[in-house]
Amino acid sequence: MSYPAKLQQIIDLFEALPDEEKRETLIAYADQAAVQAPKDGETFDLEDVRKDEECTDTVGVFLSVDLDRKVRFRITLGPQVQTLTRAMTAILCKGFEGASIEEVMEVPADFVPKIVGAQLVRQRSQTVYYILTRMKSACKVWLNRERAAA
Amino acid sequence: MLSLPIVTFPAMSQKDYAHPEALVSTDWVAAHLDDPSVRIVESNEDVLLYDTGHLPGAVHIDWRADLQDQTVRDYISPAEFAAVCSKNGIGPDTTCVFYGDKSNWWACYALWVFRLFGHEKVKIMNGGRDKWVAEGRPLTREKPHYTPVNYPVPPVRRDAEIRAFFEDAKKHSEEKLPLIDVRSPGEFRGEITHMPEYPQEGVLRGGHVPGARSVPWKTAVNEDGTFKSREELDKIYTQGCGLAPDKDIVAYCRIGERSSHTWFVLTYLLGYDKVRNYDGSWTEWGNRVRAPIATGE
Repeated sequence: MSYPAKLQQIIDLFEALPDEEKRETLIAYADQAAVQAPKDGETFDLEDVRKDEECTDTVGVFLSVDLDRKVRFRITLGPQVQTLTRAMTAILCKGFEGASIEEVMEVPADFVPKIVGAQLVRQRSQTVYYILTRMKSACKVWLNRERAAA
Repeated sequence: MLSLPIVTFPAMSQKDYAHPEALVSTDWVAAHLDDPSVRIVESNEDVLLYDTGHLPGAVHIDWRADLQDQTVRDYISPAEFAAVCSKNGIGPDTTCVFYGDKSNWWACYALWVFRLFGHEKVKIMNGGRDKWVAEGRPLTREKPHYTPVNYPVPPVRRDAEIRAFFEDAKKHSEEKLPLIDVRSPGEFRGEITHMPEYPQEGVLRGGHVPGARSVPWKTAVNEDGTFKSREELDKIYTQGCGLAPDKDIVAYCRIGERSSHTWFVLTYLLGYDKVRNYDGSWTEWGNRVRAPIATGE
């Protein structure tokens, strides 16, 4: 299974890192999570802000799709969202840059342990998958709307 | 008109606890950051939170990677505990002050495990990490390195004294002995199988141990995560639940961390002598073949 090009680059980076550097890189990505929030003047095709049982705080997913069907995601996170989930948010926003909406829909979740390491994917950390699920969910809604409008 | 200053007596209310020395304020911790007889220990649910910044000089002890056996659902051996202490510069006489996220759930859990191995000098920083941060106190990403010290291997793990197993909880259920369920009301009733707002996973059935009484852990804390006063805690546990210092009490939650919090309250703040934490908790009981459950109130 292939991943979007930028996501593949990030996976390759993490797979080459020893555990300690992996943690430090995750922290660096987590620090970038706030940068993924919508910026002044940006408009979106779909906005989905909600609080689910699967996450400890509110997550907002903002999706725009250009004429070439390339996606751009922006995400907002509530203050209680865990560090690992913050890191995954930044990773996915960067990893999906330039990807088509179909590519995002087809991304398997098996890359998560490759990035965060099996040790950190454990009880109480399963919300790392949640952000990917929400992004795909937004893509699915967008595709359904497109079909309905056709 | 004479204007009087507003005076509060936090120390006075704290000394009403049965073991006031087990609870310290953020001020106390700030004043002891460089005390060589003290080791500040952070324990969290968020696995990367320590790495994002921690109290200066604090070490990180992870509830799962450091304190649990990696192949058996159990705690590490006495020799492994000695090694964890040694590498963190903790000697048998070191005062360990635990703090963490989630209103100190995991701090209490780590403290309880330290007590399993007989480490005597343990304290909780009241209000935990959130209070320290809310007060604008410093955090650092610099990880301290302490010279390993000799920690004698504890002769035993005190499971029989402060830890309960499935059979113990079953006995309390059947004989109607004090058994308190500290999970959220929805978990107790069987409507959800995990804390509200968490992924519903890890256990097949919802409900509670028959005969258990629901006393959510959260009833013991204020909005800022600090513990309620002795008087308030007495109202909740002694008068409200009919518990008493000499009663044999078992507390459980889902995996033993929230019940560690209640164990700390009952043991150190109220001075109950016979409290055990059933760490197998609902993830054992709720999944166990032929274990009876109750649902609803």
